[in-house]
Amino acid sequence: MPVDNYTNMEEKLWILEDLNMMYIRQIALSLQDSDIQKKIDHEIRMRDGACKLLAACSQRDQALEAAKSLQTCSTRIMAYMSELQRMKEAQVMQKVTRRSSDAGPMDDRLPCKGKVAISDLRIPLMWKDTEYFKNKGELHRCAVFCLLQLGGEIFDTDMVIVDRTLTDICFDNTIVFSEASPGFELRVELYSCCSEDDYSAGSTPRKLASKLSSSLGRSAGKKLRAAMEPGPCSPVSNGGAAPLLLPVPSVPGPKYHLLAHTTLSLSHVQDSFRTHDLTISGNEECSYWLPLYGSMCCRLAAQPHCMTQQMMSGCLKVKQCGGDPQTWTKVYAVLKGTSLFCYHRQEDVEANIEPAFTIGINKETRIRASEKDPHSKVQNICISNQYGGEAVTHTLTTDSREDTHSWMEAFWQHFYDMSQWKQCCDDLMKIELPSPRKPAPVTPKQGSLYHEMVIESSDDLSSTVSDILARRMQELELRSQLGTSPTWMSVFEENNAKCAGRTRHCTSRLSGHSPCTPHRLPRSPASPHRCPQLGLLSSDASLTSDSDSHCSTSPCSHHHGWPEPSSNFSLLSSSPSRLRPRTLSLDAKLSTLRGRGYGGGGAFQCPCQPPPSSLLAPLPISSRSPRTQHSTQTTLSCSSSTSSNSSSNSEGSHSPESSEGVPFSRPSPARRSLRNLRARLDPRTWLQSQV
Amino acid sequence: MSFVPGQPVTAVVQRIEIQKLRQGNNLILGFSIGGGIDQDPGQNPFSEDKTDKGIYVTRITSGGPADVAGLMMGDKIMQVNGWDMTMVTHDKARKRLTKKNEDVVRLLVTRKSLEEAVKHSMGGYPRP
Repeated sequence: MPVDNYTNMEEKLWILEDLNMMYIRQIALSLQDSDIQKKIDHEIRMRDGACKLLAACSQRDQALEAAKSLQTCSTRIMAYMSELQRMKEAQVMQKVTRRSSDAGPMDDRLPCKGKVAISDLRIPLMWKDTEYFKNKGELHRCAVFCLLQLGGEIFDTDMVIVDRTLTDICFDNTIVFSEASPGFELRVELYSCCSEDDYSAGSTPRKLASKLSSSLGRSAGKKLRAAMEPGPCSPVSNGGAAPLLLPVPSVPGPKYHLLAHTTLSLSHVQDSFRTHDLTISGNEECSYWLPLYGSMCCRLAAQPHCMTQQMMSGCLKVKQCGGDPQTWTKVYAVLKGTSLFCYHRQEDVEANIEPAFTIGINKETRIRASEKDPHSKVQNICISNQYGGEAVTHTLTTDSREDTHSWMEAFWQHFYDMSQWKQCCDDLMKIELPSPRKPAPVTPKQGSLYHEMVIESSDDLSSTVSDILARRMQELELRSQLGTSPTWMSVFEENNAKCAGRTRHCTSRLSGHSPCTPHRLPRSPASPHRCPQLGLLSSDASLTSDSDSHCSTSPCSHHHGWPEPSSNFSLLSSSPSRLRPRTLSLDAKLSTLRGRGYGGGGAFQCPCQPPPSSLLAPLPISSRSPRTQHSTQTTLSCSSSTSSNSSSNSEGSHSPESSEGVPFSRPSPARRSLRNLRARLDPRTWLQSQV
Repeated sequence: MSFVPGQPVTAVVQRIEIQKLRQGNNLILGFSIGGGIDQDPGQNPFSEDKTDKGIYVTRITSGGPADVAGLMMGDKIMQVNGWDMTMVTHDKARKRLTKKNEDVVRLLVTRKSLEEAVKHSMGGYPRP
């Protein structure tokens, strides 16, 4: 029976796998390199642990994490193995060369090593717009992580769950590789695994699996089949450059597949963020597919040791040509980075006292040994720099010929390092060591981001609204007396202690998280161009003629530009009802009140998109006042915004540039011009936020 | 600093690295921003081109982290930690600056004086 053969093979693979590990251990022992030995033992133990955990755990997240560690461990073992093989080869070659009587080639100069750090990895995704805005339907999720390999060091980032609400995959980790040569190759690999529960590989018997896949829909079946069988789109990934000895036995549980990879080298190192191209493997049919944009953004910084460590230090005598005094100064010199620091005494170095003077050693510096000094028979070293067009030369001398030689050697090595590390030696790049930080609080996503808005609603809406209005009018009066114009500040959810009360109806109740009180005045910058506060008008007749401007009934959203009509608009379109679900925004509730007041006059038109700057309609005012003629007086700032809103709805919301697709009855030209004027004079059209 | 839609934007930028300051439970930077693609660019007092919808620094708390780092009022922020700020909404810009898990923000800012400085320096010393 096929199932038996399958399990038989599995067992054999496991046995061979164990043999592999023993073989690796033996090689390590024979090389008598305890360092690698320890590392390999450690990794093998981790790997066993991860396998056991995978077999035992039931939760999907745990399984994903365990599979990730398994992948990392396997990759590391592969890397160690290839390194071992190389060392074995080198050992053998050494024995061979020792036999030959050649003197051997001269020691080639080796560049110094350095630290390479990669941080802020970000991979943009390219969802189809239909996918991105889909609200219903299952959320296809993938678990992704990155594996970064440089030389023998392999690190993995944290795992991130990606679904179609994310626009980019962001990895916050900073990964530092300590011993990198300038010719390094940093291989970045993105692994992903489908996070659906049905697709656990290997656990479903074949017959049932084929039945399922044929009975499901075409695309779902395809995905299922792809996940079950190791087809062309799910190659057994070994993650390393070393050839596989044997196929890895399939471990039950989620399996990660290579989705994309790229290689970074010295030319990509820069002290700022750069975008690199990704090579994508896999196609749309694979279960682990994610629509990658094709590039990756990250910050790759390098600190060669010649910039951070003291390359050479010792006592010297320095004389500056052309400067005075023309005597030799005894200094303790330290060669580090792009300078030769000369301290008066050796103790000054540790004491962090400023050096007596500093001689620049960079790519423009010229160093040469001068003729032998007739008195001391020791060669001097001349260092010349160009400081803004002038050549400045310092002469160094030491006590003995060996010292001079070692200093020259150090300078040559330094120059060589700088030529090899190229742009990393211009300035020291900052590398932040990853500090242990508290994990950011994770907010559980309930489908669309719209649900994250918390609106505190009250039971009796009409009293609420009148309270709000009364407070609003008081506030505006206060402001107009003070002569400051209210700034339209967005309400902060997170870390701002102060916030400005909105001049519209979005008050502290709406701002959910932030503790601002309606009486707190905003911190308004000196903006002389702002127009003076318009006076309050108790009659809000101007609203009434704009009854059609229901775009102002857009929900109050902290997040601008979200096309999320969802539940609010459904309520608006229906006849005003008493029942209101709790998650409705104040705006929607106000709109229902208004609807009641008008008895459904005019067409209820909801905009497809809420205006970018979140505005609320002063609807309750209109609901309480009778329909009157449109007054041309200066109006309430709130009412003006409605009117401006309505007028600019034909053009856009507050700012004339934004476009609205709302069909509604257009007001007459005279009124429109007036409203345009009000829109332009409206001071709250330029938000400022405190960060 | 106007832009032609579809063409890459070039600007002389300065790198500014700001270490956030912890105040209680908050990490503050000490400046205010204005602008955004959802805001009215005509109201921006700092921009040269009144159709520029970029993010501008509108005030700096003196002695605060931004002031110490060299940020100046009127600077236009082009990038924050690698994220583009020339085409973002106001709220998105604010969020990019106030991420709780970041202690340091690396900005690329541009200002008129930078362009002029480059012009002067290029005029004075012709590079080989």
